[in-house]
Amino acid sequence: MSGEFDPYALMEAMAPLLGFDLGLATREQIAVHLRIAAEQAAKLLKEPLDDADEPGPVFTA
Amino acid sequence: MSAELLDLSAVEIAAMVIRGETSAREVTLAALVRIEARDGKLGAFTDVTAERALAKADSIDALRARGAPLGPLAGAPFAVKNLFDVAGLPTRAGSKINRDLPAARADATLVRRLESGGAVLLGALNMGEYAYDFTGENAHDGPSRNPHDLAHMSGGSSGGSGAAVAGGLVPIALGSDTNGSIRVPSSFCGLFGLKPTYGRLSRHGTFPFVSSFDHLGPLARGVVDLALSYDAMQGRDPDDPAQADVPPAPATPTLDEGVRGLRVARLGGYFARGGDPAAFEATDRVARALGADRVVELDEAERARAAAYLVTMSEGAALHFKRLRTRAGDYDPDVRDRLIAGAMLPGAWIVQAQKFRRRFREQALALFRDVDLLIAPATPCRAPRIGQKTFVLDGKEALVRPNIGVFTQPISFIGLPVVAAPIWSAGEALPIGVQIIAAPWREDLALRAARALEREGVARAPIARLS
Repeated sequence: MSGEFDPYALMEAMAPLLGFDLGLATREQIAVHLRIAAEQAAKLLKEPLDDADEPGPVFTA
Repeated sequence: MSAELLDLSAVEIAAMVIRGETSAREVTLAALVRIEARDGKLGAFTDVTAERALAKADSIDALRARGAPLGPLAGAPFAVKNLFDVAGLPTRAGSKINRDLPAARADATLVRRLESGGAVLLGALNMGEYAYDFTGENAHDGPSRNPHDLAHMSGGSSGGSGAAVAGGLVPIALGSDTNGSIRVPSSFCGLFGLKPTYGRLSRHGTFPFVSSFDHLGPLARGVVDLALSYDAMQGRDPDDPAQADVPPAPATPTLDEGVRGLRVARLGGYFARGGDPAAFEATDRVARALGADRVVELDEAERARAAAYLVTMSEGAALHFKRLRTRAGDYDPDVRDRLIAGAMLPGAWIVQAQKFRRRFREQALALFRDVDLLIAPATPCRAPRIGQKTFVLDGKEALVRPNIGVFTQPISFIGLPVVAAPIWSAGEALPIGVQIIAAPWREDLALRAARALEREGVARAPIARLS
């Protein structure tokens, strides 16, 4: 998935919607972090989770 | 004598105060002198609460003069990461923005509880901006420095906490740990650090980061101090809606029971690759000393780390969303750009991460049917140099700031309690930490193991000789 991921396309679409006014240096760094996030997402999603898996609170270990 | 007081542990200081061999005022004055002498090099403190500390010390000495009982930490100095509310100070959370907030009107619950045990608050400590950090660097206050080598990172985000304790300014400091922010500075600065079970200690009166896995806990140079301070902070707090309704479970009474009979295993797979040899050598030493007789695997730890990474980005961005739109220029750019990226992540990734979280938790809990403690590295390397942007991880160049927590993130993601124990190798100027991980609510077992390592000389946390 990360090979197809275009961080700049995501950024250009999302920034005005979210109300962010981004400078050039900021864009480059945000793209770095979006790429890292996409790599992490690819690891997470490489095996599908069951539709019935429960995402509800698990916060008390 | 005064200066040497600060070389003692909190429990030793308290014993002297209780016996009348020194006074809380004398200890506090010694701490203030040491902070004045050393903190210029360390960058650990952002606020020193001298007047308050002396007033508290005098109240302890007055109690003793009346023959009243004193707490187990009587007169022992401590300090807190500056995301803890301290009455009269704005709660900076390492930021420029929060300095515009009104001063806190009351102390955080854990500050109050340590003071109820007799400890004396000396001030607030430097930290990575809004706790989104593993380096101990801060764009507004400067870096907190590693006391064992001032050119190196203290670790973050509780960097000031690590520097203050390893530098001998205070015997105990409090920090927070979302993805490793107690365990990383403990590893880099050579300290014992406790990240309790999620929901064990109250977070009331602290500035959050990722609420669904924010934890608070102590760092100290000895396990007795760690356990005593942890015990003093336990107890139900109705002001914290995320705190679990479990009774306090004091760890101090069983601290010296050793590890005989405990089933200890080393984590393999993900936790046995990618880091420097030093990380695995330290883990080997701990595993041998604790009698770890097998290797077990958390099969999906890499996915857990990935999920923790995404949830952190997203929840952190949600917390800061308004500020990112109105005060973007007042953030550390390194922090701001990660947060803005987090605001843009597809919701499907985050929901999948939350789904996976439950599954991974169940996998981890299954391991604890057969073992009591799991051993793993705390950090993939010793402290990098301040300003270092990249390092080699798993054979590839990677950014330092997002990646120091590769071994800590999968564990805090599901809220397990961990003690970080500091390990030194001959000829090395810097230590490295090892995680001792227990089942939920079994902090006592992790602390027992850390105490056994300390007594055997395997783990130790000396005060740095500042050069």
